[in-house]
Amino acid sequence: MRAEMTVDARLRGMEQNKMLMLGFIASEATFFTFLIIAYVYFRTFPETGPSARSVLDPMKTGIFSIFLIASSFTLHVGQISLRKGGASAFGHWLLVTIGFGAIFLTGQALEWNALIAEQVTISRNLFGATFYTLTGLHGLHVFVGLVFLTIVYGLTLRGDFAGGGDPAGVECLSLYWHFVDVVWILLFGIIYLGVFAG
Amino acid sequence: MPFLGSVIPTFDPVSPQARSILDLTWVTVAILAVILAIVCGAVIVILLRFRGKPGDADPPAVHGHTKLEITWTAIPFAIVTLLFVLSLRTMGQIHPAAAPNQAPDVIVVGHQWWWEVRYPASGVITANEIHLPVGKDALIRLESADVIHDFWVPQLGPKQDAVPGHPNFLWLQPTAPGIYDGACAEFCGNAHAWMRLRVIAETPETFAAWTAAQARPPASQHTEQILKGGAIFQEQACVNCHRVAGMSDTANAAPDLTYVATRQTIGAGVMENSPENLARWLENPQAIKPQCNMPDFNLSEEEVAALVTFLWSLPNPTPPQGSLDHE
Amino acid sequence: MSDAVAGSLPVVEDEVEEGPLSWVASVDHKRIGLMYIYLALVFLVIGGLEALLMRLQLAGPNMALLTPKQFNQIFTMHGTTMIFLVVMPVVTGLANYLVPLMIGARDVAFPRLNAFGFWMLFFGGILLYYSFCVEGGAPDAGWFSYTPLAEQPYSSMRGVDFWALGLLAMGVGSVAAALNLIVTIFTLRAPGMGLLMVPMFVWMFLITAFLIIFALPALNAALVMLLVDRYLNANFFTVQGAPLLWQHYFWAFGHPEVYILVLPAFGIISEVLPVFSRKPIFGYMFLAGSTLAIGFLSYGVWVHHMFAVGLGMTPLLAFQASTMVIAVPTGIKIWNWLATMWGGRLRLTTAMLFAITFIVQFTLGGLSGITLAVVPIDWQVTDTYYVVAHFHYVALGGILFALMAGAYYWFPKMSGRMLDERLGRWNFWLLVIGFNMTFLVQHFLGLMGMPRRVYTYPNLPGFAALNGISTLGAFVMGIAVLVFVWNVLKSVRQGAQAGDNPWSAWTLEWATTSPPPEHNFERVPPVRSRRPIWDLENPDRADWKDAHAG
Repeated sequence: MRAEMTVDARLRGMEQNKMLMLGFIASEATFFTFLIIAYVYFRTFPETGPSARSVLDPMKTGIFSIFLIASSFTLHVGQISLRKGGASAFGHWLLVTIGFGAIFLTGQALEWNALIAEQVTISRNLFGATFYTLTGLHGLHVFVGLVFLTIVYGLTLRGDFAGGGDPAGVECLSLYWHFVDVVWILLFGIIYLGVFAG
Repeated sequence: MPFLGSVIPTFDPVSPQARSILDLTWVTVAILAVILAIVCGAVIVILLRFRGKPGDADPPAVHGHTKLEITWTAIPFAIVTLLFVLSLRTMGQIHPAAAPNQAPDVIVVGHQWWWEVRYPASGVITANEIHLPVGKDALIRLESADVIHDFWVPQLGPKQDAVPGHPNFLWLQPTAPGIYDGACAEFCGNAHAWMRLRVIAETPETFAAWTAAQARPPASQHTEQILKGGAIFQEQACVNCHRVAGMSDTANAAPDLTYVATRQTIGAGVMENSPENLARWLENPQAIKPQCNMPDFNLSEEEVAALVTFLWSLPNPTPPQGSLDHE
Repeated sequence: MSDAVAGSLPVVEDEVEEGPLSWVASVDHKRIGLMYIYLALVFLVIGGLEALLMRLQLAGPNMALLTPKQFNQIFTMHGTTMIFLVVMPVVTGLANYLVPLMIGARDVAFPRLNAFGFWMLFFGGILLYYSFCVEGGAPDAGWFSYTPLAEQPYSSMRGVDFWALGLLAMGVGSVAAALNLIVTIFTLRAPGMGLLMVPMFVWMFLITAFLIIFALPALNAALVMLLVDRYLNANFFTVQGAPLLWQHYFWAFGHPEVYILVLPAFGIISEVLPVFSRKPIFGYMFLAGSTLAIGFLSYGVWVHHMFAVGLGMTPLLAFQASTMVIAVPTGIKIWNWLATMWGGRLRLTTAMLFAITFIVQFTLGGLSGITLAVVPIDWQVTDTYYVVAHFHYVALGGILFALMAGAYYWFPKMSGRMLDERLGRWNFWLLVIGFNMTFLVQHFLGLMGMPRRVYTYPNLPGFAALNGISTLGAFVMGIAVLVFVWNVLKSVRQGAQAGDNPWSAWTLEWATTSPPPEHNFERVPPVRSRRPIWDLENPDRADWKDAHAG
């Protein structure tokens, strides 16, 4: 088993966790980049059927997006509280973050539902294929983030963060959550607002 | 390169394209052979001069030599730059862009596992063998009906993929009459190994005669055996896949058979062509070209014989006297 | 001995357990490293048998030992196995075992993540091989699975799906291992060991790890899109979409992948040659810098696998240029290695024989690679046995020979016993002869017109003879592998005791027992140069006193 670590080593441990998460984020960012390239490339193909402009509603999705972006702020505020020693405030902010994230996912599910009802499916055309793949994988990443946020919330209730401070796990999860948020901003811009698209 | 050339087709070019590539190859190999010789030589010298014996003291530590390392980086860089320039020149020679509206001389469409060959100018449609006149740069357009294939005839020049939805082109100019073997060079499924190719280069006169013969409608011979064969060809649904001019002009799932009797091989190169081999093929194609797309139709010996007679009769241009019509 | 370790860790009671279950539960980097290596050995034998089956089928023209579909399954599985279940695991395993030792650490930064990475690989391997048991059998669209062939309806059975899912699982494991080792190398080096003082194997693996985390995502994206095509009827890579896009994504992964495979091999050679020449590695900074250059450049050459697909002149020229450029930092390492040996006092152990042969064979493979970089030449020989010869020269003649050198070099450290040198000689000569017999002739087969991935060939002049020689050579290689396995099994039990440092080597893994204790070091020697043990044993000629030691 691991030896007791000196203070040095514990700080180094914090650096290690953060480095790991940043490396992971770099890898995932590359993954999304490749999928985005596919989206943008296929937008240059002349095709019939639904397109972003014809079937998507940036206003409606924009509202759900605001919830996701806000959830990054609420998580950040929660972290600040925790650093000042407020574990229970942290817990409340976590709950709000989870809630906002869930609202985003719900909005996404409703959007998908409506699109499928209009025969905009993944197999309908290249827009469908790239749209659902990109937003679906992003949604999956949000979902995984929510699972972890819930776990951390459970740990908070259990008193694991009673001492406050800057626990490595919270910092890393927060990095991940911000990443997921940034990816959405990119996707929103490219898919819904047509940046890079004709 | 007579000896090497007789065994190694890429060393026996019969077109300016293949010749250009071979010339570039020799220069490249010569340069790289020098590098290999230096490395091997160094290893040999090292093994001879610097063997240690047990108990030897460790030699002086040499950690590096910046000037030397810069030099031995710069020289290889110069070498690859030279190769790049030479290659650029060759690429321009052998693969110039076709003019935008230039019609191809031959359209070759890859199928699993045969080649459809069409001549737009004359309307000739055939399969697996491509006739070309010598001395003329032929523009070959490459397409595919299903997966990615690759057209390669080493003696005549470079290869190029046949990609569905993405037509490609090749320039080939045979400079001497002859038969030049090739093959599909992109893995395309079960019978990829038997998707072979043959280019038959002929004098312009012979080529014109061949074209005329292929463009003629097939004979309508009416011996009983031929009629019977023709009927089987329809009943057994051969017409659904195989084109025979006048019978199934639009069938495209299998090689054109209108003048199969004039071809040198059958099954895209799996067998030499002859009535006997054609009969063997019809008896059980799966035994000859396993896992190709033609099922075993369980034909009787008689049916096979009739079919062979029918197919073999089609190029015969002599019309009979007092004949019946047939579709 | 002075204890220069600041903030030293207190000695811990080891909880080494015995029994197979303790291995399954282990988070010790040495055990995990060994499990990677054992897995690789098992798959080496399986992949090798697949190769022998293919060579048997190709021993003569028109043979029917295997049906076309069976042959296609075998070559698909052979390629996938050798790359993902042999070379990648063995280099990951070596890195796992050695990197913490070489930097004077107690374990990797994340031991449990380490175990996770291994078990994902294991799971992926099972998924891939399970395909033999399902209807339709193993995947048969090639290890590169080009579309539209890999799509419905051309590959209508499940094999391709198991291939894709297996690779996804293995990919997760690789990224986990890579991230772990990056953090380990950055944060757990012994005090005094700057980043440019790590053993060359560590540096090479650091770059490899970065390549992994940025290359696997391209493959993962492609695999996801392929599965979406196959099961949700999308058209990313069918004719209604862009079949060629698959190739771009696959090779955007595939080219960095070959550097992922070869850089650790370069690292091994860079450890073995100096020790058996009794001189430090020549030009550490150039080696490190050129490897960094390769890391970046490797993302810019992928189209050289696609020179014949019909892209326009501009991409052809651009990627021809980038491919030729990347040959330079790769090739100059040969000079560094030769210069390392020059002026040395060579000890021709089995490890050294493998390392020296690596130099010649890798050079040959590299040079045939340069011919392939010349587009018109590529247009003749791509997709033929010439390419098969090229990549086996770099991957087998190069990487596998380097791995053999590493095996003979580090087996004593890992097991406490020496491998038998006499059996090692047999191993070596059989492998050299077998390997060159198998693959040298294949250059000519390609030039003679034999395409790749064919289950048989017509009886054209020379084809039968050369294929026959190639098949014989493959069996000689098989015997060589058996000799190696026998050597390992015998030496583990009866080999001579190795001691801490049987080779009088200089890097930190040799500053502890063989095998090391669970916590790796009782005391880490002071690190003031790249050769800490040399400095300790030769205080007058210590590297840190040498102005030229970089």
